[in-house]
Amino acid sequence: MDESSATGIVFSIQKFSTEDGPGIRTTVFLKGCPLHCPWCHNPESLSPRPELVWHALRCLGDGACLKACPEKALTRAGSVLQIDRKRCIACGICVEECPAAALEILGKKMTVTEVMAEVRKDSRYYEKSGGGVTFSGGEPTLQSEFLRELLEACRAAGLHTALDTCGQCRPETLAALLPGVNLVLFDLKTLDRDALKRFTGGQLDLILDNLRLADSRGIPIWVRVPVIPGYTDSPANIEAIARLVGSDLRHVERLDLLAFSNLCLAKYEQLGMEFALKGSPLFSPEEMLALREAAERAGAKNAVVSGPMRSNGPA
Amino acid sequence: MAALAEPAVSLWSPSDKLSPRIRKLRDEYFSYSSRDYFRNEVMPFTTGQPWDVVYSEHTWGVAPEVYPFMDAFKTSLLVDARTVPLQPEFWREPAIIRRALFFREVAEKHLPVQVLEGELIAGGQFNTASSRTLTKSEARKFKKMEKRYVRTLKELDSYGYGNAGATPGHLIPDYPTVLKIGFRGLREKFEALLAQAASPSHRDFLRALIICAEVPRTLAGRYARKLRELSARESDPGRRQELLRMAEICARVPEEPARNYWEALQSLWFTHILVMAAESYPGPGLSYGRFDQYLGPFYEQDLKSGALDRETAKEILESFFIKNNYVYDFQGRVGNNQGINSSFGQLITLSGMGPGGEDLTNDFTYLCLDVIEEINLLEPKPNVRLHKNTPDRLLRRVVEIVSRAQGAPFLINFDEISIRALEWIGLPKDKLWDYAPVGCLENTLQGNDRSGTVDVNINLAKAVELVLFNGRDQATGKQVGPRTGDPRQFRTFGEFFQAYEKQTLHVMEKLIGLYNLSDEIRARFEPVPYLSALVRGCETSGKDVTQGGPEFNFITMEAAALATTVDSLLAVKKLVFEEKKIGMDELIRAIAANYEGYDLLRQKLTNKAPKYGNDDPSSDELARRVSRFWSEAVTRYTSPFTGRRYRAGYLSWNYWIAYAPKTAATPDGRQRGTFLSNGVCPVNGADRHGPTAVINSVGNLNLSTIPNGSSHTISLSPSLARGREHQEKLMGLLRANVEHGSSALQINILDPETLKKAQKNPDEYKNLLVRVTGYNAYFVTLGKEIQDEIIARESHRT
Ligand code: SF4
Ligand code: SF4
Repeated sequence: MDESSATGIVFSIQKFSTEDGPGIRTTVFLKGCPLHCPWCHNPESLSPRPELVWHALRCLGDGACLKACPEKALTRAGSVLQIDRKRCIACGICVEECPAAALEILGKKMTVTEVMAEVRKDSRYYEKSGGGVTFSGGEPTLQSEFLRELLEACRAAGLHTALDTCGQCRPETLAALLPGVNLVLFDLKTLDRDALKRFTGGQLDLILDNLRLADSRGIPIWVRVPVIPGYTDSPANIEAIARLVGSDLRHVERLDLLAFSNLCLAKYEQLGMEFALKGSPLFSPEEMLALREAAERAGAKNAVVSGPMRSNGPA
Repeated sequence: MAALAEPAVSLWSPSDKLSPRIRKLRDEYFSYSSRDYFRNEVMPFTTGQPWDVVYSEHTWGVAPEVYPFMDAFKTSLLVDARTVPLQPEFWREPAIIRRALFFREVAEKHLPVQVLEGELIAGGQFNTASSRTLTKSEARKFKKMEKRYVRTLKELDSYGYGNAGATPGHLIPDYPTVLKIGFRGLREKFEALLAQAASPSHRDFLRALIICAEVPRTLAGRYARKLRELSARESDPGRRQELLRMAEICARVPEEPARNYWEALQSLWFTHILVMAAESYPGPGLSYGRFDQYLGPFYEQDLKSGALDRETAKEILESFFIKNNYVYDFQGRVGNNQGINSSFGQLITLSGMGPGGEDLTNDFTYLCLDVIEEINLLEPKPNVRLHKNTPDRLLRRVVEIVSRAQGAPFLINFDEISIRALEWIGLPKDKLWDYAPVGCLENTLQGNDRSGTVDVNINLAKAVELVLFNGRDQATGKQVGPRTGDPRQFRTFGEFFQAYEKQTLHVMEKLIGLYNLSDEIRARFEPVPYLSALVRGCETSGKDVTQGGPEFNFITMEAAALATTVDSLLAVKKLVFEEKKIGMDELIRAIAANYEGYDLLRQKLTNKAPKYGNDDPSSDELARRVSRFWSEAVTRYTSPFTGRRYRAGYLSWNYWIAYAPKTAATPDGRQRGTFLSNGVCPVNGADRHGPTAVINSVGNLNLSTIPNGSSHTISLSPSLARGREHQEKLMGLLRANVEHGSSALQINILDPETLKKAQKNPDEYKNLLVRVTGYNAYFVTLGKEIQDEIIARESHRT
């Protein structure tokens, strides 16, 4: 079998990625996610299929797209372009015709070879900074075959790999991927079984099994907690996670506390989705630092705060 | 109100670590308007002959913003000029001797001598507009040629081709030799040569060098006397001691070799200001070379012997730094140059490799970095050389300062990339480890090289306009270029590109013709024997620094608008020829209309064509073709009068702004007036994949045909430089650029919010420095247009 002919749906390849593991990295975002976290900052990654988005600010209103669509999926109500998502097959014809780059298909079918060609362009930066490639999503393990081949290709190219996962996958799937992974970025939201289920659809026991599985393989792990107002930001939750990573697990090198971000609001609006946290304020640096102290008191060795925070002075 | 502005202002104020003395000296420099007791303004000096010349236009030919004022400067300087009494024999001397004698008279009798309270380095007023000491018939010839030059200059500038002019400054004099043997040693060398010189003109030339090499002793002696006078009147015993010590130093250097650190810096300063006085040019690009290399040993020796402690060494260095900023007083009188208050670029080079590729960073390098960070001034401008073996400690310190400074406190130069291109142009391989940049980033050798690094400036995008309109300039309607055919008849992109090459050659040849004229004028009428004494090669060749005397002589053509040109060609290639989505006729009509009424077409050109700067192989391939074409072609030209050969660079200075209104709309969707691209940077907003992709694209240009160096600026939001972890990543980015990228890089760390606040409250942000293109500028002094441009640039990159 020609490995490189495997394809997957990639929604973005981000160069000079500095927030997803050590060094300068390229993050490959794979589309599709089994969870539905209300705070998700990549809502375009949820659906496993390519999707059309419309950027209102760029639109000239000339209507070239309306004429071009073979599926009659587009209509205009006033100055708003409406996409009938039941009809749209994401064929991209309207994107091609739009003069203003106001339409875009999120999610592109790519081969392993194509992804690797992009990823390799920055090899020099990985080498000089101790960086590499991060696979994120969505939930990358959903496209497990594609991901396995990508990891394999990175290993063949001598590139450091990080896998960013929420742990919501079959343990066999994860086990098959881990040999190609140099670092696991494990997203852990809450240890409250019911809340997790209710808000995100995730199964805590499965997720923790997978975390222990990764730990048992001796692969370095960075546990990452999205700190979300009203969902995961209680000191009790952070402490519980810190206790878990500080005592039960041996290979967790770092606990990242990622402050809630509202920068994704526009993306929700483009996709015609509701953002549940619309209007929630950012954390202040003091609040985040207090959580870090709580985590450290509870036994986390290397707790790191990052993400957008409220500035203290007037804006 | 104050609280609102505080974060940025505190970043830009000098550090609290400055001693009260240094803080006072720094404030004094900034208080130009109230500093009526001392201003380093231009002092014109004439022979008193009615035909005398104290100002020549070609000196400012590369500064289009000065053109409207040239006549006024010329007249008013001559009217105000002080007459220097001369002996009747003066007029019987050959031109070179006359220039030397006149310089000696001015420096010995007319340059005012003044010492500021508390300063540790003496040497105050040096801005002159000095007579060219021409006879009546020489003056007639000079004026005729200069008139022809000015007419052609204004014509080519008005077409938006660019500009050219024989420009002073922009070189590195042989300062280390002065520190080592003093001017006395230099005179001895010249006298030995004089004893052997056969030709009368060589003998005259050496006599002129000897006359000039006596001047520093006399001027320094006047300062020594002044310092002794002051010490006698000084009530503070500490300061009295200092003044006496300074008097001793000035009595010794630069005539004698420097024996210690303080003498070395004082010697350097006298030698340096006399170059500005001799050239009648207030400093742009007059650079120090590898400052830490020749001063480091003095510093280490004094520290070891206990003669000096680090804090004193720092204060002396800070006093020296402050003095360098007085070059700007020149603008007080002849008017600030319009729109851009750029730094003059008396460049100091730090660190870099040795002959075997080993790193040469020393303790003094780190002292300089501390001073740069704490004192926060425009001059001297620092450039740090990085290479494969740069130690982490230095790189970390550089990144730390860059990330704290909100702006770009220095230029970063990359040794391997710079050296490869210097070798390509034919410079001796074994000497290249010791290269150093001048001005902003223009790579030269030290002490023996006059490469006219800013002297010819071309707007590459103009040729695209000329192709589209068969050689006709759109603004004037004139047939200015050759007829390369009606592009509607072109069947392939290849034909289009060929026409582009022809028009480019036409623009280049026009500019070269203009420069050759100015080069000849300068060589015939404006020798500078004092500077020739400080540039190796002149003394043996018997030719002045203006006449091709130095060991190495190039003329550099600097290009602006590379990316605008490339993106325009890419759009034509893809949308007109390959996909046939746009007709050539439609494109030409749209451009003639400056896209008014053609918005859809303009959007297509903007959004549907590939762009340089995204690490996309086929776009970068075309960029490389464009870059190589002109940079190789230019090396086939020489200036007939001096024999200097042309070479290429990407500095762009402010021409990407200046020539924007003189360049018609371009096929990349740009309208007339929108800025052109700068250096090797992509068009603003065209790069969509972040700094690694841009650096890769720049590297893909293959800059080995660009010996003068290439300017690249990247802007990062402060969040990308905050904290140790991110600083390590920036270090990785720089290490990667060592292997593949531009020869020079500036990193701007600034957020748009800070800039917007500065625009609204300029008074509170007087100190906010930004990097514009190879130079620093105070943000609040920039025109609103440029400010908006910078804000827009930052906004889409955060
Ligand atoms: S992507 Fe295809 S189906 Fe969807 S709206 Fe555009 S043209 Fe129609
Ligand atoms: S083609 Fe593009 S610009 Fe035109 S109406 Fe459709 S989305 Fe808007």
